[in-house]
Amino acid sequence: MSTSTVQSDNVKIQVKDLHKSFGSNNVLKGIDMDVREGEVVCVIGPSGSGKSTLLRCLNKLEDITSGKVVVDGFDVTDPKVDINEVRRHVGMVFQHFNLFPHMSVEENIMLAPVELKKMGKAEARERALELLERVGLREKANARPASLSGGQKQRVAIARALAMAPGIMLFDEATSALDPEMVGEVLQVIKELADTGMTMVLVTHEMGFAREVADRVVFMADGVVCEQGEPEQLFGNPQQARTQDFLSKVL
Amino acid sequence: MALVVGAPSALAQGSESVEGQTYVIGTDTTFAPFEFRQNGELTGIDMDLLRAIAEDQGFEVEIRSLGFNAALAALSSNQVDGVIAGMSITDERKEIYDFSEPYFESGVQMAVAANNDEITSYEDLKGKTVVAKTGAEGETYAKSIAEEYGFQVKSLDQSATMYESVKAGSAVAVFDDYPVLAYGIAQGNGLKTVTDKVPGGSYGFAVNKGENTALLAAFNDGLAELKASGEYQQILDSYLADPTAAQPSNFFDLLVKSMPALMTGLWHTLLVTAISFAIAMALGLIFGFMKISGNIVLRGIATTFVNIFRGTPLLLWAFMFYFGLPQLTGWEISVWTAGVLTLSLNAGAYVAEIVRGGIQSVDPGQLEASRSLGLGYGKSMQKVVIPQAFKMMTPSLINQLIISLKDSSLLLAIGFTELLYQGQQIYAANFRVTETLLIVGIIYFIAIMALTKLANYADRRFNK
Ligand SMILES: Nc1ncnc2c1ncn2[C@@H]1O[C@H](COP(=O)(O)OP(=O)(O)OP(=O)(O)O)[C@@H](O)[C@H]1O
Ligand SMILES: [Mg+2]
Repeated sequence: MSTSTVQSDNVKIQVKDLHKSFGSNNVLKGIDMDVREGEVVCVIGPSGSGKSTLLRCLNKLEDITSGKVVVDGFDVTDPKVDINEVRRHVGMVFQHFNLFPHMSVEENIMLAPVELKKMGKAEARERALELLERVGLREKANARPASLSGGQKQRVAIARALAMAPGIMLFDEATSALDPEMVGEVLQVIKELADTGMTMVLVTHEMGFAREVADRVVFMADGVVCEQGEPEQLFGNPQQARTQDFLSKVL
Repeated sequence: MALVVGAPSALAQGSESVEGQTYVIGTDTTFAPFEFRQNGELTGIDMDLLRAIAEDQGFEVEIRSLGFNAALAALSSNQVDGVIAGMSITDERKEIYDFSEPYFESGVQMAVAANNDEITSYEDLKGKTVVAKTGAEGETYAKSIAEEYGFQVKSLDQSATMYESVKAGSAVAVFDDYPVLAYGIAQGNGLKTVTDKVPGGSYGFAVNKGENTALLAAFNDGLAELKASGEYQQILDSYLADPTAAQPSNFFDLLVKSMPALMTGLWHTLLVTAISFAIAMALGLIFGFMKISGNIVLRGIATTFVNIFRGTPLLLWAFMFYFGLPQLTGWEISVWTAGVLTLSLNAGAYVAEIVRGGIQSVDPGQLEASRSLGLGYGKSMQKVVIPQAFKMMTPSLINQLIISLKDSSLLLAIGFTELLYQGQQIYAANFRVTETLLIVGIIYFIAIMALTKLANYADRRFNK
């Protein structure tokens, strides 16, 4: 059942015939996908199908081979676009957290707002503490990332990604590197974020979570979108043989 | 004619009196017992004689310790008025210089270890090995009789090391200039002479041909006076005969007396290392970043730089910069410039590799996370990657700093007055090689330990 309530017809992410290859390895072979404002899209699919690559093309962590990607009104494929500006509108959470180990938790969160002159130090700290409050880690503000558990690290990483108040959040297997007992706390934070109407694209292996939180599920295989639809429909009544095959293995 | 530093001074000639004049005299750096430094002061037979003559004749001398060849070059270009440097009077030299009366009769003599009673004459040398100084009269003489008496001649280039090898037993005897040998024995170098001296060259004081005749005449007059008064013999005896000459007699005395010179050496060692390492850090950062750049030309330049300076010996560059570059370019290159160039380029190549390795050892996810927040490449490097890379680089950088400090001792080969060079100067004068080296070694050790502690402290302090 979709839990996301705030949706509009405003298209936040538009992907048209996206191709991406690493040398001779064609990883994405023509992806078309739109994400509306407030929509939560989960991307699932077998390993190596190009899920991470797709996500990384959305904020141009990977160069795009051909096709068109428009994010929050910016044409990412336009060479003249200020990619740093685009990235401030798109938060990203990584499988391995990638927290900055030489900074405290609060400094991790304050880095972008302060360095990009969005706000002064005091204001940035206040905002960091608010965000930490939101992920339930306010008391860890001065801790070093190394002293946190995996679940705590990922919650800090989410707070950091939210620091520039992005309109879009991308999650690449945010819970895959966690011990099972910590998966829940992170999923909880992501779910709360979804409930606020954040536009989100999540690559995930947590089928139960996808079913619960997604407005739409995209199944990728071999660099193309094989099938997509509402969770009930995709999980309950998959149309493609590949989807059926994949789901029978993971469910 | 009174002299100002560097001013040509050939005006003091003719019948003019030397009284009240100041003459600039060039000499060698270390040729004990004729000239050497003791507690930082130039002393020796030449120095004592010259000063005594000057006093007797009422003129002043300003002594420049330049090195033998440099002193002669300075004389030719009139930068000094005369040279006294234990210099033999030869026919070739008489073509360009006017010499005083000989003030010293030299000659070659053979010495053996003090406790050696087997070798008392050349006949006892059969089948044995002796040492002599490369290119010196001692070598010429030893080789001329080697076949007749059936011994081998091994050539070394310093008196102090020759004496050590006789004491250590790798050679049974040494052939050396009699005054140098006599002085060494007087200093307690553990040898004794067993043959008579073979008469050899005589030493003279030199001025440019036809110039400074008054000075030359005054030197001859003064020398005659000193000989007549007995002061001449006294000066010679104080270096050649008296076994209790004013020299450190025990280890502690040696330590105290050599400390000022060694501290100067340590200071120069630390200074040249510090300057060179600062430059090496800058070079290393530039070339390290070039090595990870996407631009193939920059990468190529950096790789070439690193390969050249890692792939060639440090000493080669020291010689190249000090001797080669001035000849190629006509620039005057000081020993400091040559030393700093050598050390900084060498260390720079290693630092470049340390920087490259440090940056590449930072998880690429760090840069991605920073970029995904909207920070540019430069800002991301500055705030996220470099601080972490630097932390990982610190131990290697400290290591390189210590290597550079130790490598700076190689600069003694171009006459850079660092710590080990000072040690060499000291044992060239007092022949106490082992003890002096021991002191030098302890100073290096303490300096490096202190530096390591300091660097580790700074590391803990700034790289928490
Ligand atoms: N930087 C890269 N250079 C070369 N090949 C790459 C690179 N990144 C990904 N690939 C290749 O692209 C293909 C898709 O990788 P991608 O990481 O997008 O898959 P995925 O669907 O996220 O898989 P997983 O579920 O294992 O994370 C793989 O074959 C991978 O080897
Ligand atoms: Mg992936």
